[in-house]
Amino acid sequence: MTLGEYVVRRLLQMIPVVFGVTVLVFFMIHLVPGDPARTILGNQATPARVALVRHAWGLDKPVYVQYWKFMGRVAHGNLGDSLFYGVSAGHLVLERLPVTLWLIVLSAIFSVCIAVPLAAIAATKADRAPDHVVRAVPLIGLGFPAFYLGILLLLVFGLNSGRLFPVGGYGSGFLGHLHSMILPALTVALGLAPILIRSLRASLLEVLESEYVATARSKGISEQRVLRKHALRNAIISMVSVLGVNIGYLVGGTLVIEQVFALPGIGQLMINSIFNRDFPVVQAVTLVFAVMVVLVYLLTDVAHALLDPRVRYE
Amino acid sequence: MKAGRPLLILALALLAAAGAAAAFAGGKGTSNSAATPQRGGSITIARQEDSQSFDKTNVFQNESIWLAEQIMEPLYTVTADGKSEKPWLATSYTESNGGKTYTFTLRKGVKFSNGQPMTSADVKFSIDDARAQSKGWGYLDAAIKNITTPDPDHVVFHLKYNWAPFLADIALFANGIIPNNFAGQTRKAFYEHPIGTGPFMWDKRVVGQSVTFQRNPYYWQKGKPYLDSVTWTYVSDQNTRELQLEGNQIQVDEFPPFNSVEKLQHTGGVTMTLFPSTRTDYLEMNEDYAPLADVHVRRAISYAIDRNAIIKSVLFGHGKPANSFLPPQVPFYSKNAGGLQYNMAQAKAEMAKSKFPNGFKVTMLVGSGAQDEQATGQIVQSELKPLGINVSFVQQDTSTEFQNIQKMNYQLGFSYWTMDIADPDELVAFAIDPKGGGAHSFFTGYNNPKVINLSHQAERETNIPKRAALYAQIQKIAAQDAFMGFLDYAPFRYAYSNKLHGFFVYPLGNYHLEDAWLSK
Repeated sequence: MTLGEYVVRRLLQMIPVVFGVTVLVFFMIHLVPGDPARTILGNQATPARVALVRHAWGLDKPVYVQYWKFMGRVAHGNLGDSLFYGVSAGHLVLERLPVTLWLIVLSAIFSVCIAVPLAAIAATKADRAPDHVVRAVPLIGLGFPAFYLGILLLLVFGLNSGRLFPVGGYGSGFLGHLHSMILPALTVALGLAPILIRSLRASLLEVLESEYVATARSKGISEQRVLRKHALRNAIISMVSVLGVNIGYLVGGTLVIEQVFALPGIGQLMINSIFNRDFPVVQAVTLVFAVMVVLVYLLTDVAHALLDPRVRYE
Repeated sequence: MKAGRPLLILALALLAAAGAAAAFAGGKGTSNSAATPQRGGSITIARQEDSQSFDKTNVFQNESIWLAEQIMEPLYTVTADGKSEKPWLATSYTESNGGKTYTFTLRKGVKFSNGQPMTSADVKFSIDDARAQSKGWGYLDAAIKNITTPDPDHVVFHLKYNWAPFLADIALFANGIIPNNFAGQTRKAFYEHPIGTGPFMWDKRVVGQSVTFQRNPYYWQKGKPYLDSVTWTYVSDQNTRELQLEGNQIQVDEFPPFNSVEKLQHTGGVTMTLFPSTRTDYLEMNEDYAPLADVHVRRAISYAIDRNAIIKSVLFGHGKPANSFLPPQVPFYSKNAGGLQYNMAQAKAEMAKSKFPNGFKVTMLVGSGAQDEQATGQIVQSELKPLGINVSFVQQDTSTEFQNIQKMNYQLGFSYWTMDIADPDELVAFAIDPKGGGAHSFFTGYNNPKVINLSHQAERETNIPKRAALYAQIQKIAAQDAFMGFLDYAPFRYAYSNKLHGFFVYPLGNYHLEDAWLSK
């Protein structure tokens, strides 16, 4: 099977997965207690007004009727209107998606930039002081709750140290977004890097003891070159899988970071929509999350195969 | 070495954090009180909730209403003490036909932000549209029979019956004036970027992020507003809002938590103000549950609640014990209402008189994320124990909690009220009349025909002293019936840059940003 055929097959497999997730979420969000009309009208609403709003939104109809209408809309590419904002749920999600994508991509880049050199140091100085330091210190990042680490970074680099970065927000324009995203991405990366370091260090140690590395060394190739050209390339394959799994997890786990850094991302939209029982938005966000997670895993598999020619597309 | 840089950054962060924390705690609040307002500048107000909609006639969310009021103004507006109304887009009114006809004279020279002059046709259209909104605030205009416009400067309201809260209802934000026929747009399109006569006009909105209004060049108060623009941002995390205020990235932090008030009062460059509000917190008692239908049990519970303990531990000392279901900032509030206060001996005596002298089990509904409700609940739980009342908690998320309270599917629970008009009728009808919109007397099931009758009299009584006497009587009976536990009156909290002046929050929660200005 060629790479193209493999990708098409995986994309087709995605359809039932995404459909299944959407159906599951539709019934879960409709069956849990809580009512969007009561939530939006507030605690001072009278039952008469609540009933009028429920009728206007079609919430007084049986769940199966609402589901049928929902599917009818989805078939036409319409995810419905947000009950809270009164605008298209699909539009709301697409408007927020770039924020979360920025965060995920930049976090991945930062975590790799932190993990690769540190893992290389740890592996080449195994069981010596640098190795112990590299294995111990990044665990602080892992142990710190993300909200606390985020606040610390804001205090240090947002308020003090010449106010290098904005205290939250998304900024405007490419450079504005980049500037605003550095601290949140660093917060995520400091939590993610220790996992990558451990994985890459273990792989590197294994590779550095392999026969082909011994052969390379026997040919008089410098240790730096052995590490860069022979060891890292092979060791990094396992890290790609670990990174892929963690990014898949991050897709739905950016909420805390988005809250601390006041980022109008998809995670924040999801949680607010759940609290407001904004059914169309919850469904739209879930749909996008499902697609993103499946795509991340697909990209991970493709990257794995590109890095390791022994992997076959099946 | 490159590999060492991330570690260095982390180490620096940790070291600098200690210094930053010290600076954070050690600052001292100051207030720049320059006397002459200065033109120019922009401010950002950070809130914990995003605005939902700017359709003033159908929205119930404060974070939307307070913004809409910057664009759309009513004929009369609420005074700074929250207890009466003053002329705004109208300069005066006269009453005739035994109080059933009101004729308003419109202010001359008022223009909408699109440059179009405001006339009586705009007023008639605006209020006819507002009162037609059955899902929204239309019910408050139910007394209006019809509106006529004898000339462009006068509007005549014909009422179905005498209606004492009429002027207060006219001052409601939902009755703000907009251009006739939505300035040629559809209703939906109009409220996506509304037009009004207010100090600010629509600029842009990024849903879930921010809303920005620009100065209205046609504003009728000459020289105002002073600010060029105002932006409201949505920052859900309270710590981030505080850091943004300190870093001057925002100029106003709306509703910092009570536990931050003292710290913000001592933060350099920040003014922390507690504005008197109409917020009143209650312990709800559902009379569908037999023990709570017994007036002696309800009185025992009300006597057993140490309101000062709640104020100390939940509001961090920033509140007052409630003695009435009406707040002090509403007209006709009675300071002699006689709301039951903490007295354990009286509580035990009331329990002894009840049908449940040995106590009973009861559940208390609390919001799963509502720390204030949980803390208050724990205090009430421990105070009811000596009476033999064993309280167990049922935690639910806010939406489910609302639903269960409004369906009366609870035993004890918490709720609160903030006024929307400067008249007690809105709250009294909701709280003590089971048929007041079907709210089952604030979802308690309280039903005292005498109080209901008095409230109907008060709605029609236009003689002020007589009306005051009626509301005093209502408050007294309601307090003795202890249909809810009146807990506390809490202020509105705002922290803002000490370069911002003229920022004042009214007891109803709104603010007039045409008076706000920035010093250099």
